[in-house]
Amino acid sequence: MMNSNRKAQSTNSKKMRPKNLNLFTIRMPINALVSILHRVTGCALFLALPLLLVTFQLSISSASKFQLVQDLMHSPLAKLILLGLAWSFFHHFFAGIRHLAMDVHWATTLIKARYTSKMVFVLGGLATLLLAISWVF
Amino acid sequence: MLLSLLTKRYPGMRAWLTQRLTGLLMAIYSVVLLARVMVLTPGSYDDWLAFSQPWWWRLATWFFWLSLSSHAWLGVRDVLKDYVPNVKIRMVLLKLVVLALWVYLVWITLLLCNL
Repeated sequence: MMNSNRKAQSTNSKKMRPKNLNLFTIRMPINALVSILHRVTGCALFLALPLLLVTFQLSISSASKFQLVQDLMHSPLAKLILLGLAWSFFHHFFAGIRHLAMDVHWATTLIKARYTSKMVFVLGGLATLLLAISWVF
Repeated sequence: MLLSLLTKRYPGMRAWLTQRLTGLLMAIYSVVLLARVMVLTPGSYDDWLAFSQPWWWRLATWFFWLSLSSHAWLGVRDVLKDYVPNVKIRMVLLKLVVLALWVYLVWITLLLCNL
């Protein structure tokens, strides 16, 4: 009796349970944002691998091809892609280091985790900015 | 003790630890790469060859790519498991990822050997 009651209750609550996975209506805390961007940037970097290989192959094949790569890299579109990938790399890099730190139980309280999340964004942005200033422009 | 987690007896721990060790390795390589670029500032084709050609650098680059292959596999596998609910489509995508990573590994190996 009690068992069936509980069963009924659980199916009932399953039906009633609100389901909201719409990413555009969920307000993400900063830690969640770092986490999801760690995934997004990882995927972006994975998708960029063939581009990296082609560029490397061209750059080492001959002096004229090396020049071609240099010229291509100075087009506005290439700069945009490069900066996007550079930011992806830096975010993934710093968020990964944050992950490693937490794996050894460093900065695992909520306040510290929020602080390191902010650091990831600051350092990622700063590194991209430095690269943009020193190389792309 | 830590390394026993890398055996097939603990597949979950193995994946977890592999992802972290490869990540750490790639992070170190990236820092060395950045330092070398800043110190040597390869601007011409000859500079670039001199930068890339040392045997130890090519070896390091190859190990970097090996790490990248398993790191990317574990990461993309998790993402596909989470976001592609259709098992058939997911299987196809997973196989494509494996194929791509193998092609990239052979590709970079050939490039580094012929450098």
